[in-house]
Amino acid sequence: MGADSFLTGRGDADAARADTGVISRQAALSQLAHPLGALFWLAVAAIVATLVRIAFFTPTEASQGLAQKIFYVHVPAAVTALYLAFALMAVTSVLYLWLRDPKLDRVAASAAEVGLAFATVVLVTGPIWAKPVWGTWWSGDARLTSTLFLWLIILAYLILRQAVEDRAQRARYSAVLAILAGLLIPFIHLSVYLFRTLHPQPIVLKPSAPSLPPEMLTTLLISFASFALLFVALLRARYRLAAMTDLVDGGVYANGAN
Amino acid sequence: MPPDNGGYAYAAYAAAITIYAVYSASVWWRGRALAKRIPAAPDAGRSGPPSGAA
Repeated sequence: MGADSFLTGRGDADAARADTGVISRQAALSQLAHPLGALFWLAVAAIVATLVRIAFFTPTEASQGLAQKIFYVHVPAAVTALYLAFALMAVTSVLYLWLRDPKLDRVAASAAEVGLAFATVVLVTGPIWAKPVWGTWWSGDARLTSTLFLWLIILAYLILRQAVEDRAQRARYSAVLAILAGLLIPFIHLSVYLFRTLHPQPIVLKPSAPSLPPEMLTTLLISFASFALLFVALLRARYRLAAMTDLVDGGVYANGAN
Repeated sequence: MPPDNGGYAYAAYAAAITIYAVYSASVWWRGRALAKRIPAAPDAGRSGPPSGAA
């Protein structure tokens, strides 16, 4: 049912109802009164607590100094962007091409947009950490270049979604691009093994035990949990926004009867 | 003695917080803008007792 109603295009109230589920005007306004939801504020509280732990209860690394603490924001952002957001985008895009369920397209688009914010944090904090440690802001090696390339593909994905008006065509084209972007994820992960690079090899996501002192590993895991919670909260808010946009564009509330 | 490079750490955290805050604000703003596109209910703003009331 979802696929057929999706293909009927924009402006069809019945299609929008079928795709998103019926929601009353009051419920819609209630949801949009707090677009970010309580989960977002829980994530903010967790991140503030994490920042306190990083600043006051985590030792400073001897050779790199305070700059090493960039690690606790850079690595969780990278793991969240690559292995949660963009992986989810690629998987739901594959499922969309198979099942043609518009909910999967919305999840893919939401994951891409939220993931782009996390990837931007990776690409901004990485050079700020690199300057004092490597002596240069940027190195044109495989890890950094392929991460920037993936960021540009995701940006292109979001521009493509704005450019194509037909919903079914937009979902199909963007799913193909998302799958191609997803193919880069294992390449980016393995690039530090396959090529000579200044970027360090993984110290947690590797076959052997993590090579970090226990206090630092605990802080990293807490930081990852906090930023993963932020990702889930933003993904949920962004998905809800996409679903509500489809209802409004579909004219569900146009006659004032809902 | 660790090197004195705390400025880089502060700059990185400030940049990260700014990016997350700007993106979160954009989701909030788009949600509020969408709410304004939902037309008021037919009886919204009507004063007086509901029809049929004594």
